[in-house]
Amino acid sequence: MSELPAEPPPLWQRLLSRQALGGWVLAATAVVSLLAPLGLDDAQLTIYVFIGLYTMVVAGLSLLMGFAGQVSLGQAAFFTIGAYTAAILTRDAGMPSLLALAISTTATAGIAALVGLPLLRLRGHYLAFATLAFQLIVLSAISQVPQLTGGDTGLTAIPTLSLGPIALHGQFRTFIFAYVVWVLAAGVLVMNRNLVRSRPGRGLRALATSEVGALAAGVPVTRYKVQVFALSAGYAGLAGGVYAFFVGYIAPETFPVLLSVQFLIMAAVGGLGSVWGSVLGTAGVYLLIQVLDTVGTAPGLPASAPAIFSYAVYGLVLVAIMLYLPQGVLPAIQARLVGRRAVSAVEAERSTRAS
Amino acid sequence: MNAFVQDLLSGIATGCTFALVATGFVVIYRVSRVVNFAQGIFAVLAGMAAESFLARGIPHPMGEILGVLAGALAGGGVGLAAVGRRNTPPLASLIITLGIATGAYALLILIWGDQPVSYAGIAGTTHAGPIRIQNQFLLVIGVTALTFAALAAFFGRTYLGKALTACSSNPHAARLVGIDVRAMSLIAFVLGGALGGLAGVLLTPIQPVSFDSDVDLAINGFAAAVFGGIVSPGLSLVGALVLGIAEAIVAGYFIPSFQTGVALILLLALMVWQATRRRATEQEGT
Repeated sequence: MSELPAEPPPLWQRLLSRQALGGWVLAATAVVSLLAPLGLDDAQLTIYVFIGLYTMVVAGLSLLMGFAGQVSLGQAAFFTIGAYTAAILTRDAGMPSLLALAISTTATAGIAALVGLPLLRLRGHYLAFATLAFQLIVLSAISQVPQLTGGDTGLTAIPTLSLGPIALHGQFRTFIFAYVVWVLAAGVLVMNRNLVRSRPGRGLRALATSEVGALAAGVPVTRYKVQVFALSAGYAGLAGGVYAFFVGYIAPETFPVLLSVQFLIMAAVGGLGSVWGSVLGTAGVYLLIQVLDTVGTAPGLPASAPAIFSYAVYGLVLVAIMLYLPQGVLPAIQARLVGRRAVSAVEAERSTRAS
Repeated sequence: MNAFVQDLLSGIATGCTFALVATGFVVIYRVSRVVNFAQGIFAVLAGMAAESFLARGIPHPMGEILGVLAGALAGGGVGLAAVGRRNTPPLASLIITLGIATGAYALLILIWGDQPVSYAGIAGTTHAGPIRIQNQFLLVIGVTALTFAALAAFFGRTYLGKALTACSSNPHAARLVGIDVRAMSLIAFVLGGALGGLAGVLLTPIQPVSFDSDVDLAINGFAAAVFGGIVSPGLSLVGALVLGIAEAIVAGYFIPSFQTGVALILLLALMVWQATRRRATEQEGT
């Protein structure tokens, strides 16, 4: 009796299976997020743009922490470098904004590679502290050269995004920015997804578990670590450049250490190493912050209320996620739906430790 | 010349507070392998709490002691969250301490507001020939010296101290001889909280603290701790004194605003230099 290979189920069955659910959710999210700007007013569109920009940064951080196992607590430093480079190139050097954006993104990635070469020799807690220190150095350096960066007062009147003679001004400015950011964020996410499924992606996962093991298996550990560090910094630099063009004003206090913490919270909520989770985590946390700001500025509350609210919630969310949902919200939901256990980078580490 | 000696002394006093924060890092890291990002918070909390106790009429050494106890209590709380659950991986513990440090800001602003807080330490100056030293500086240096002596006795002469050391050198073996490693981790956090608190109550009269003063303290303390590989209290003391003096000299003779920058660049260079000297296999899992 010869065993015939099992017939693949018909297409309609595959499209309705639980495994295909993710694809449908993804398609629905894409359509809804594409249509959403049509129904939003300018204030809501601004939130939409910020969510898109932060998604790009968080996607890079999630890749770096979840897949490559490298901790960065200074991701906002690269956002800052991207924003300042783009702003200085257009405002003071008179460069076209798209060219400036390309240069600032590349420059940010380049700086990250240069800084990463020594810093990525450090591991775990050391690297976390080093990246935090790097951000403090960047902020202090910006204050030290006011003739270039405007010092503590910052840079104002940064030109907007433009394509040749067409500049983004007027009534539809925020609307068009929303789509520009959508395209960029989608590009970042698709790139992440492809990277994760590629040979280097598997190499990164291996080195996150054990660098010595990965090295023995032929993974070029140092090169991959520096490359993924530079890539995630490039995402942050790109987002920072668009941020500068969109807001038109930047100063050191625009990019506090707390912004790095915020990125970390977004990545942790979405799930470290979950590509699509970065969207969910960013949107969820950002909207929560907006709600808190609205509540905190309600009449009758002291002036420090918004700060108290946001610090408290940042702390609580971060601790609660790490203790009870270390794999992140989206992977937990996915696991529930597909009926399979989600294993995060954090959990994998836990299981190797327990054994 | 006298100005230089006075700068030197104020640098040593600041270095002593860094050393106390650094030992807090060391004590906690040795046992639990967690770098506690909330370490600076203990100092800020203790300083502010001491101010409140003193303002309520509690006499001088008591107010400060209560402040240190508040730091120790906070240390225990952070420890419970960070390592209280079995098998919490170090990466998660790190993010938890960062979360607590952020959340603590809310509490600090709620209770003490967002303005710097200070109180009078011991008044007066001591004259040694042409040099005048604030008594508070002498107090800081004296208390730090006593603390380090006490720590040396504690780790070298008592069962509890030896048990803590055993956990840091080999947690598995420590468990085999009946030491509860998790309880030891919690004790280390309480001790770390008290040391941070001590730094806070000594520093507040010299330098007013506000809720976010913890970043500077923690960065400097960590730099000093890294000098001893985050495992040696003695080397951290040396690192902290070097750092305090270097910063006082940079502030006095070069660029005042670049004080923290110096600490940070030293810290990065030191960490990278140490990492290149360690073999990769030794670092696995840290």
